[in-house]
Amino acid sequence: MTTHAPAPTPAPDKGWRPGGVEALVVVLLVLLLGQHWLSGLFTSPAWQAGATIFVSIVVQATPFLVLGVVLSGLIAAYVPPEFFARVLPKHPALAVPVAGVAGVCIPGCECASVPVAGGLMARGVAPAAALAFLLSSPAINPVVIVSTFIAFPNNHVMALARFVASLATAVIMGWLWLRFGRGEWLRVPNRDHLVGSSRFETFRRTAGHDFLHAGGFLVIGGLTSAVLNVVVPQSWLQAVADRPVISVVALAGLAVVLSICSEADAFVAASLGQFSLTARLAFLVVGPMVDIKLFALQAGTFGRAFASRFAPTTFVVGVVVASIVGLWLL
Amino acid sequence: MTRDVGSALLVLVGAAILRIAAGDTYLRYVKESMRPWLLTAGAILVLLGLLALVDVWRSVRAEARAHAAGDDGERDHGADPFDDGHGHGSRLPRAAWLLVLPVAALFVVPPPALGAFTAERQQSTTVAPAVGVAPPPLPSGAVVPLTLNDFASRAVWDDGRTLQGRTVTLTGFASAAPGGGWYLTRLALTCCAADATVTKITVKGASFAPTTNQWVTVVGHWVPGGGTQSETAIPWVSAQSMTREAAPKDPYE
Repeated sequence: MTTHAPAPTPAPDKGWRPGGVEALVVVLLVLLLGQHWLSGLFTSPAWQAGATIFVSIVVQATPFLVLGVVLSGLIAAYVPPEFFARVLPKHPALAVPVAGVAGVCIPGCECASVPVAGGLMARGVAPAAALAFLLSSPAINPVVIVSTFIAFPNNHVMALARFVASLATAVIMGWLWLRFGRGEWLRVPNRDHLVGSSRFETFRRTAGHDFLHAGGFLVIGGLTSAVLNVVVPQSWLQAVADRPVISVVALAGLAVVLSICSEADAFVAASLGQFSLTARLAFLVVGPMVDIKLFALQAGTFGRAFASRFAPTTFVVGVVVASIVGLWLL
Repeated sequence: MTRDVGSALLVLVGAAILRIAAGDTYLRYVKESMRPWLLTAGAILVLLGLLALVDVWRSVRAEARAHAAGDDGERDHGADPFDDGHGHGSRLPRAAWLLVLPVAALFVVPPPALGAFTAERQQSTTVAPAVGVAPPPLPSGAVVPLTLNDFASRAVWDDGRTLQGRTVTLTGFASAAPGGGWYLTRLALTCCAADATVTKITVKGASFAPTTNQWVTVVGHWVPGGGTQSETAIPWVSAQSMTREAAPKDPYE
């Protein structure tokens, strides 16, 4: 898939060791031959529902992840590094809000934004600015805002509240990173080894590399979310619906657990009618920025040291900002 | 993970996505509107994987030549953040191996569509339409097929005005009602099965009680009694006839 040597003369691997490909072939053969036996194992309804949700999350995320890795490949191959230095303000504190607003440009969901943010950092964009973009783009792009507008026909202000609260959270997180973040927490993706002899080669290597990098973690996220989806009883939610403070935190927590796509979450929020609008705003603000699937993707792309600090902080900032914006607008 | 395995996995993931999107299997997991995106994404992945396999093949040949020249391809990548410490060719995290799971699931035993298990864990939800917007009258015809969600929305939020005196057909599966009995049930997706919401309808005067997950078509008319103006109300339909059905191509609304 990837080569180590600087192009244009890719140096070879040590050759075909017994391992990789052979293991893959064995795994696939076992699966194929054990098909009947395997399908007999998973007949309980809970297993099947869990498997369906897992597969659904992966299948649904794949086109968005492909969009993200194609964009990050294009950035690596066709956008010169000077470009970002030119369009972004020199001072990182100013670059953060600009990058946050630039999130409007990519009509994808959170799966697409992780590889793109990685690509931006690899291209020399200040990490704080790339992180603001990472958080804002899945929440404030036109597709998401329009679907929020449609999902809340009686509370159109919800779309505005979502835009304001998400952008504010993203920019605050960028600034927090600028002030308190440490370089050693963040593993900036290094793509030098992916440079090919032509732009197209660089593009396809970066895209393939990024997909494999994120894909495994997407699977971890999908598995975790599917298990929680099947194991956690929904009745827990009903119990807290009428308690103002707890309900905000509970719905934000639900967003983390469900890991649904930011293009769909407005409709799920609309169906949670027993909760206050502010609690549902917290669901919409936190969901695209912190969820299990996304945490796994971030850990895979930027390292665990980063994700384990960044995600909980984003959760707290998101809940606080959503509560303030909710009190103000809703 | 070595790059040869990685390239093969790209091809396999792409092929698995293409396979389910070529038939109707993908409808168990995502909306019909996702199909072109699945086909595009699957094709891109297969292509990236095949080209990467060509890279691998070329470098194996280059290695054979370099070996003769005394260069064993030792390179310094100590500073490379992607190196997982497993030596040559290991720039990809071991987690990438997990991509075998969805590939296996889709090629070997694609999981079934969600059904009664999911429905029984959730409350029926009928989201309120925009205030002041009355639903359009039903199309003409002796018997009108309706989605469960459309029926419920008219019954719950418009007090059944547009349903009065009309005969409708509703198709769904049976899920158990708490305390015995069953509901005519249908799940709806926004994006994928992880965001499924459920609509349930009480069938009055049912000619038989279908087993859980059995698909049935009910011909009948709306009767008051299921409650109105509440997102969790479960409306009633009085059955004139009921027939067992095979599961439809798209199990969701």
